[in-house]
Amino acid sequence: MSKYQVDKVMREVILDEKALTAFKVDARKFLEGRSLTEEEKDALINVDYATLYRLGAHPFLLNGFTPRAWKGDKAALRAEYRKKIAPHGYPDFST
Amino acid sequence: MAELVEIMGISHSPNFPGQIAEPNPEPAIVEAARDYELMRQRMAGFRPDVLVVIASDHLNQFFMDNMPAFLVGKAPRAEGPFPHEMRTFGIAPYRAEVEVDVAKSMLQLAPKMGVDFSFSDEFRIDHAFTVPLNFIRPEMDLPIVPIFTNVMAPPVPPAQRFYEVGKAIRRIIHELPSNKRVGVLSSGHLAIEIGGPKEGRSSADPEFDRRMMNLVGRGDVETVIAEATWERMMASGNVTPGFLNFVLLMGLADGRAPSVSGVRFPKSKGSVPYMAWDSQAGVLP
Repeated sequence: MSKYQVDKVMREVILDEKALTAFKVDARKFLEGRSLTEEEKDALINVDYATLYRLGAHPFLLNGFTPRAWKGDKAALRAEYRKKIAPHGYPDFST
Repeated sequence: MAELVEIMGISHSPNFPGQIAEPNPEPAIVEAARDYELMRQRMAGFRPDVLVVIASDHLNQFFMDNMPAFLVGKAPRAEGPFPHEMRTFGIAPYRAEVEVDVAKSMLQLAPKMGVDFSFSDEFRIDHAFTVPLNFIRPEMDLPIVPIFTNVMAPPVPPAQRFYEVGKAIRRIIHELPSNKRVGVLSSGHLAIEIGGPKEGRSSADPEFDRRMMNLVGRGDVETVIAEATWERMMASGNVTPGFLNFVLLMGLADGRAPSVSGVRFPKSKGSVPYMAWDSQAGVLP
């Protein structure tokens, strides 16, 4: 598990418009060369926020990253977000 | 010797400016806006020459590759917030000169007071600085000294340490080699959850908010420090440690009760606290 690397990706996508575009165009390429597990890579690529949350991604960054990287309906995302992460309680997000 | 003329703590909620600007804000928002206008007048009344602004960065400027616990900014200018914050919240920018001589003096005096601040010559200030500054000094005419605290990336220093650093900053200000009138403005918040299951539209834990504001209002440092543990704050909301900046202010005020304090509870978003320690005869003893 590499929480720090996951947080770093999310922060880049939040702060940097070029990073956001690159991530949206080809997330797998964007993640090349980073020390991430396959599970973390897949969760980032699919914007699988529930898995990222469960793995200990920083919730503040996750809150910024998810709607920015989300390709689907944002109203549906807002409606589902809390429900989907709630079963995971409060994972330790310290790096 | 500089003079500490006012100590003030308010919320840095990036939602609050937008809530005020709504066509028909709810009563608690109207009252909170009035509180903050009174705070603006209060600070102006003490005629500070410089504002020491103590706030947290939200993983925008500082990150876990190099995370300072307490850092003094000494670049010539401070500007913010970050573009994504303006885009998301529609909050206004803020620009200020940095009082570099005061910042350098603070860094030189700090070790004697038991604090080794980090420092930075290149940084941007995020909404935790720009939101309170836009409320308290919208003229952007006063130089500032920004002090960044880590309340976001664990391990976060405990409440006891925030209190001690506040006490140290008080002593540092008194020993500054200038006769400037120094106002202190800090920002934080009460129980808040962001990106977690409890994230909602009002306070994540109104009971925590009432209790802590009651303790702050009485100057009950011992109980605040005993109760504002990482575990307790996280149980109240996953970014509640922003409260620690107010504990730092209690140290800056040498443990005294504030002259005024209060909190509003809007139905929308988090609660809106304020607190201020006024000087007597223009100077805090």
